[in-house]
Amino acid sequence: MASKTAWVLGLILGAGLSAAFAAEPPRDERTAGLAREVRDKGWIAYGGRSTNGTWDLFLTRPDGSQRRNITNTPDFEEGAPRFSPDGKKMLYRRTPKGTEISHDNWGFQGRLVIANADGSDPKVSGAEKEYPWASWSPDGREIACLTLKGIDFVDLATKKVLRRLPRRGMFQQMFWSPDGKWFCGAADYIGDVWTIARINAASGELNAVHMFQSCTPDWFPDSRHIIFSSRPPNQPGGNGYGWTQLWMADGEGKDWRLVYGEDGRHVYGGALSPDGKYVLFSRGLVDGGGSESSGAPLCVMRMSDAPTIAGPSKDLRKVHPSTKDGPVLQFGEGWEPCWTYAEIGAAK
Amino acid sequence: MTWLSKDFRSLRDFGSLRRTGTCPRKRGHGTRLVLACLLAGACCVSCGRQGDSGEADTGEDAEVTTRGSCEVTAQLLELRGTFPDLPNYHYAFVMKYKVLQVHRGKIDGDTIYVAHYDPHKPRAAAADVRAEGIGGNLRQFEAGDEHRMALEAPIDDYYMGGMINRYFKEWKGPIYWAVWTNRVVR
Repeated sequence: MASKTAWVLGLILGAGLSAAFAAEPPRDERTAGLAREVRDKGWIAYGGRSTNGTWDLFLTRPDGSQRRNITNTPDFEEGAPRFSPDGKKMLYRRTPKGTEISHDNWGFQGRLVIANADGSDPKVSGAEKEYPWASWSPDGREIACLTLKGIDFVDLATKKVLRRLPRRGMFQQMFWSPDGKWFCGAADYIGDVWTIARINAASGELNAVHMFQSCTPDWFPDSRHIIFSSRPPNQPGGNGYGWTQLWMADGEGKDWRLVYGEDGRHVYGGALSPDGKYVLFSRGLVDGGGSESSGAPLCVMRMSDAPTIAGPSKDLRKVHPSTKDGPVLQFGEGWEPCWTYAEIGAAK
Repeated sequence: MTWLSKDFRSLRDFGSLRRTGTCPRKRGHGTRLVLACLLAGACCVSCGRQGDSGEADTGEDAEVTTRGSCEVTAQLLELRGTFPDLPNYHYAFVMKYKVLQVHRGKIDGDTIYVAHYDPHKPRAAAADVRAEGIGGNLRQFEAGDEHRMALEAPIDDYYMGGMINRYFKEWKGPIYWAVWTNRVVR
């Protein structure tokens, strides 16, 4: 009986180790070259499952080196970090231990925390669910929040609402453009749900960027293009459910282009490096980005290699026969990564 | 099968207790008859919709009569298309109703469009962080059924989330937010 138990335990341990290694596959020459290229280009922050069992925030070099846990709070779940535009601060959400982080509702969950970019001096702002979907202004002095009543412009020093715009059907994942002129987010639009939309921060006008099963948008540094996840219709894979891919478009809703796709994977968390030359994303086996479990493998690729399709992806390659298939660097497991070129400090 | 076994067990115990007032014991013929009736009733309730027993029910209860700013009894005219098969996502789905009676508040017109959150779920299980405070005893939506509903409007003041509105092209008026939804049996 004992030997049988040991055998079963060995199998479980072996499977666990295999899974851990599978998260970071061996790097071929092209991938190793990409790793060398990005190694010193600032820092990436993301939420991930920690050894203490809860979600913490991590900092890593873009090649996956110098990874460190910057919150390490066993009593809280933390996720969705966003660096301030100058890279000196970060905001994120914190929920009590055991809270399941919802890939769709996270902006409503828990409390807003603003800390230094290395995670030090965290300060909780507001009550539970307050400052939903907080997003930095270009100068870092304000945050915009997507609330039931509208888009609130909040002064960080006084916490006063300076202005309010109608939200026009936008309901989650709102981000302020680097030039301060726009918001992007997921919206209800002409009766359809999960449309990527853009709102003019001055006039409040809304336009659709991409309709049908699209979400998790974010800005390119030029404030003119938007990256987002989309699951196009009529895919045979996943028993007809399809696979979520990473796309981009201009803010007017034109020039849609595939950035990265892979049959068998759902790609979320698209975010650009500060110079727009690289793109971050997660490639999970299950839909939603993995926030409800332990995240998904995080990756970096060059924007100049878009569109890239990974793996056999027979169905996707039929739709996109000409792809560049550049190297994709995988560096850990997490969710909602973001990137700064600011130097945050040496690893502790 | 789990629910059936559980219900049967409780019904069996109930039948025995009824006779003895204390511990279950061997049942007589009459008890078996009572048991059979109760079991049949339980099957109707569990397998079908509430109200299949034939008992009239106005849908009135302490929740529907106090929540929301309007309260109506209305007939669900149709379900336009199927609910999307998106188990990982939450959304509201707009449905078209014919108003039969206004109990509270002001309703414009005799046709209203009502958004129900996560319509594939029983109302009692639909509430979450995005749609707090909703509920009711309705288990599933079927065209032709009558519902007693506590409503709010406009929906944007009460709900911020995905909404599938297949009436968008033909209806530009208010969409009501379903706060509480009970089934009505005539």
